[in-house]
Parts: sequence; C-alpha cells; structure tokens
Amino acid sequence: MQTPIYYPKAEFIETDTGNKVSRRATISGPQNIILGGKTIISNGAIIRGDLKRAGPGHAVVISLGRYCLVGEGCVMRPPYKTYRGTFNYYPMKIGDFVHIGANTVVEAATVGNHVEIGKNCVIGKFTIIKDCAKIADNTIIPPNTVIPALTLFSGSPGHFIEDLPESTQEVVEARTKSYYTRFQAVER
Amino acid sequence: MTPTVLYHCPCLSSDPIPPPPNAPSSSYQFHPLHELFFCEECDAVRCNRCVSVEVSGYYCPNCLFEVPSASVRAEKNRCARNCFMCPCCRNTLSVVPSDPSDADDGRLLTGGLGVVGEPPFFLYCNYCRWDSAEVDVTFEKPTGLAAQLQRFEDSAPDSLEFERLKEHFEPFLRASSSSGHPQATHSHPAHINPITAAASSALARDIPGVVKYTPAPRGRRDKGPRDELSEYRSRVEVAGTKDTSNVDFVRRLEEVSQVAALSQRWTSSWTTPLRSSDLRPSRIPLRSKKTKRCSTCRHILIKPEQKAQSVRFKIKLVAANYLPAMSIAFPSPDLARQRAAGSRQTAAEDTSGASGLQAGGTYPFQLALTNPLYDPIKVRLKAEPQVPPPSFTAPAGGSPEKAKRPPFVVRLPRPESEIPVAAFAEAWEYEDDEDMFGGDDDELGLERERGGGGGKGKGIGVIERRANVTVVGGEVVIGRDAKGSIKFNMLVSYTYRSDDPLADEEFTFYTVVDLGVIIPRVGVESITSD
Repeated sequence: MQTPIYYPKAEFIETDTGNKVSRRATISGPQNIILGGKTIISNGAIIRGDLKRAGPGHAVVISLGRYCLVGEGCVMRPPYKTYRGTFNYYPMKIGDFVHIGANTVVEAATVGNHVEIGKNCVIGKFTIIKDCAKIADNTIIPPNTVIPALTLFSGSPGHFIEDLPESTQEVVEARTKSYYTRFQAVER
Repeated sequence: MTPTVLYHCPCLSSDPIPPPPNAPSSSYQFHPLHELFFCEECDAVRCNRCVSVEVSGYYCPNCLFEVPSASVRAEKNRCARNCFMCPCCRNTLSVVPSDPSDADDGRLLTGGLGVVGEPPFFLYCNYCRWDSAEVDVTFEKPTGLAAQLQRFEDSAPDSLEFERLKEHFEPFLRASSSSGHPQATHSHPAHINPITAAASSALARDIPGVVKYTPAPRGRRDKGPRDELSEYRSRVEVAGTKDTSNVDFVRRLEEVSQVAALSQRWTSSWTTPLRSSDLRPSRIPLRSKKTKRCSTCRHILIKPEQKAQSVRFKIKLVAANYLPAMSIAFPSPDLARQRAAGSRQTAAEDTSGASGLQAGGTYPFQLALTNPLYDPIKVRLKAEPQVPPPSFTAPAGGSPEKAKRPPFVVRLPRPESEIPVAAFAEAWEYEDDEDMFGGDDDELGLERERGGGGGKGKGIGVIERRANVTVVGGEVVIGRDAKGSIKFNMLVSYTYRSDDPLADEEFTFYTVVDLGVIIPRVGVESITSD
C-alpha cells in the first residue's frame, strides 16, 4: 500500500544508525551536529553546526532526534542574541518524529517530539515548540513565541487555530516511520 | 488528491444511516478515524460534536504556567504573569527598557529575559513593532506588570459596572441556590452555573411566554425571593454623547487601518475601542485542557494528565483502537518506476491516481484494512449502491434519463464474503523498525502488478495478507458521461471475539470513500452540450 519514494543511491549517504544525508545538503560544522538515527536530510538543506557558542572545544549546536525529516532547501540555524553585552549563539534541540517541510527556516530553541512544521515557514529565534504541535504551511512564527502542546498554529504572525486530536502522537509517529521506510534507494 | 476514507459518527441520531455522500450534510457526519472516540459502555463511536466537554485544568499558552482554578476567576481568565498580547497582531509582547543607547536592534535582542535598563519600561511587539508607549502604557519597573495592567482593566467603567451588577444579584443568587432545586440541577448538570440560572429566570419574568428554564415546582416560584430584588441603578447614565464623537472620527478617517478590526476588538478585555490607536495591550487569555465524556452514559473518554504540556492521557478511548483502519490507494507501479529513473528525489503525494480518473475508464484500487485489536477479526464490506444524483445536482444540460444512470459502479468483494484480518501484535511494531520493508516491498510490487494487470473482476478480493494488514482489491467503473467526484458510502461490519466464547460479536459502521474527481471526456462533453 505504501508508495515508495525512490532516490538514486549515490545521492545520499547512509550512516550506521540509518540516517540519510543528501550529498547536496550543506552541513557546516558536522562535529557539532547530532542526528538521532533514521533521520533524513534532504537535498539543498543547510544545517549550520558551525555557529556555536564562543569558546574552545566542541559543543552540541544542533541535535535532531530519530525519524526526523529536514525538507528540501530548509535552513536550520541556531538562535543568537546579545545578553549582557556579549553576542552568542545558543543550541537548538529537536525531538523525535519531527518533520520540517521544504524551504522552511528554523531558528527555534527547542522543538518537541512529534512536531510537524509545514512548507515555507519561518520559525523565529528562541521559539519553543512543545510536543505534538503542528505549524501549517506558510506560517511565520515571530521570535520568542511559545507553541503549546497539541495545538495547530497558522498565519502571519502565527496564531492558535485549533486543538489537535488526542491521537496526534500515534498518527505522527506512524506517518514519520512510514515515510522513512518508503524513502528507498535505487541503484542506477 | 489521495483517496480518503472517512468514518461516520451518527451523533446520537436515531437514524443510523448516513446521508448520501453528495449531500451537503454528509461532510459534517464523517470524520477521519483518528479524530473519533469510542465509548465501550455504549459500544458506539463518538465524535467531538457529540461528547460533553469539561475543563480539567487551565494554563497560560505563553508561559505554560498551570493556573489553579481558584485564581482563574480572580485573574479574569487571563495570565497574571508577564504575558501580554499585542493589540494589533495578537503576537506576544516583550518588555523592553527605554534605554537610549539601545537602538532598534537592541530591543529585539533583549527580548524579555533579564532586562536591565532604564525605566520607564514598555511593551514591544517583535512582529509589528507596536509599542505600548504609543498608548501611554509604561511601567516604572519590569516586574509585576500583569497586576498593574489588571488594576487598569478593573478600573474601566464597564468592569466596575459589571462588578456592581454582580453584587446586586449576589444575594438573590445565593437565596435561590439555597432554596435550590436539587432535582433540577441534577438533570441538567451542564447548566448549573449561576449566570445561566439568573438569565433564564430573568427572561421568564420579563417575557410571559417564556417558560423558566429550570423546571421548578410551580408553587415555589411565587414564593421565590426574586421579587424582593431592589431596583438596579447604573453607575453612569448612558448618554448619546459617544455617538457624535464616533461620527466625527469616521468623518476624518483617512485609512481603513485607523478603525480597529473586529478581531482586534473582541480580544480586548472590557472596552472595545473603535479606533485602532486606542487599542491597549491585554493579558494573554488562558487556555484549558479538557476532559471528554460520552454524552449518553457519562463515561470518561478522554482524561488528560494534570501537567499542562504533557501529551499523555490517563484515559484515552479513541476509535482507532477499536475499528479497523482503512486506507485506499490506486496501484501505479509504472509510475513509481519512472520516478526512480528520474534523478531527483520526489514527493509521494502526487503518485496516487496521478493518471487521473477518466470518464469511461475502469480503475482497480486497493483497500488496506488494519486490525488494531489483539484478536483476529473478519470484515465484510458493502458499497452502498450509487444513487443517481437528485435533480438539483444534475447538470443543467443533461437529459433526465441520463442523470438517472449512476455515474460510476464500485465493485468490492461480495458482501457475504468475510475478509480475515490477523490480530495486532506488538512484535510487528518492532519488525517495522527493523527494516522488513526491503524484501516486503518487492512482493508488494509484484502484487500490485498482478492487481493492476488483471482484467475485469480479477483483482477483486483479498490480494495480500501480512501482519495485521489485509489488502483487498476492488475496482471502479466510471460511466462515459460521468462527472463530479467518486464518493460512495460503504457499510463495514466486522466480527471479533467477545468475552462470551460461544458467540462472536459484530460491530457495524459506515464510511464514506472519496476516490477523487472524474476527469470528463472533453470530446463527449462538447457534443452533449450542443
């Protein structure tokens, strides 16, 4: 029943834990990025792991959980601010089963589990998205917004639209898992 | 468009048969499976429209603070911490100091956290750049702003008037609740709040024809303390002065944006100003977590955990755990192969039914049934015969006998034939994880070809069984002059093992299947319209 989504095998690098990272994605500072496993980074995505907190050594800048999808042309950039006179980047944490649609810019501080973010969205700096929330396509979330669990946000600026059904968690989990299994390599 | 299967909720209606799929009322009675609940006690499906809802807790959507219900009333259902809403765009405001050294950029960066700066402080919107200094709302210190703002709200004339009204009616309400109608309140638990009671009795008094809502014994009504109420005098006499100023304002109006939009006005707490320049910041309204009950038997269907941001539920009786899940797809093996040949990775959304449903064609489809129960079930399917669309939906050009012919015929396995679906087992969940789909998919591809290649009637029946999923083939034959969408009601009944070992129990429900829109044949179209 599940229609597979095929991709040429050479286009993606598959890691031991099942992450699939496109060769056409721009991954800066990979040593500062954690992928949870079975996460897909699509073509043209930009992940800025190089924008880390000032100071020596490694620091986790962006962490993504399991079964995530970073859509085509997405930009994942850690949030920054000047606090007490010093400019700094702050880490970004993204939970499990999170799908981010194509051409979306994410500068959130935290994104919970089972979150769906649509296409062409802008998620402002230091946004906190709680579990099972959903951001509709073309939504602009201004900086410092908090999005409560099980709510749908849409519009510009993004507003609360409705409560999501109680079974959202199961639905999103099944969908993200099936997306991963459908995403298959073909030899050419 | 992907084909959809929606499930029927009779919503306590006595008539369990849903309306025809093309009727406008149809869309209100069918829901996606994951939005439905299931009452075990009544053995029936419930939807959001037919459950009764209770508030189980309040929280602020911005600071996520769980507000105890005792303080909700005192704080007037709004957040009493530092959460404010922009009156222009409803975005959250941040507190900024009026530090002269801070440029515009600085404002954005200080955003609410640990503000150190010079007073006065004001509220600033990151999105539309509105700031509270525009309406002369500034603060000496950046803490306890909500209390300051609430004091301001409470001193509004409308609010004072309301307080007075409440005071005026309080003794009456207390007296009427103590003299009480216990049996009445018992039969209408949803309407016991004092304001409803007061309103209904006031209505009953003023308008002779209206029966008082609470079915109180007749004799008691005359003795009620209601007549002892003294006359209420408002604080200010309502005078017509306001209107002329509004007329003046409208006369000088230059831009539409000077008038506050309705959406901006009704979020405002007490005063709903006409001018957008008069709009004031308001505290963010609280939101609630809800408990849902079956409205017939009062059993709890949904009970959230106490913690506001938890997505777990203490009780969650959703239909997806009881009814078999159904999904429908058109097999399209050729298309998938073409796609693989293409170099770009593509979305799957447009693969299903991509070729379109041409009028006059026959299209096989696959219906996957997934069993959520721990026992095997047997499913029977019956597509409701396609009723010809009633005359008002018939195309104007079509002759009557043409409209009578059903636009399409759906072929499914015969209604008597039982389709077995194996039991759900957690083990399959793990297999899912462990990539069993590699091998499985080839098999799927083969099956698909067989289903697609088979001639008339060949692809009908069980195509594949794996884990707790059974795939059934069907086909739809579209008439030559058909138009509109292919939508039909389908009666689904399934038997499952019950507690009684001798007899199996059966549950029946309706679904509506939407396969997509028929593409009319252009040539035929032009001839008939002549």
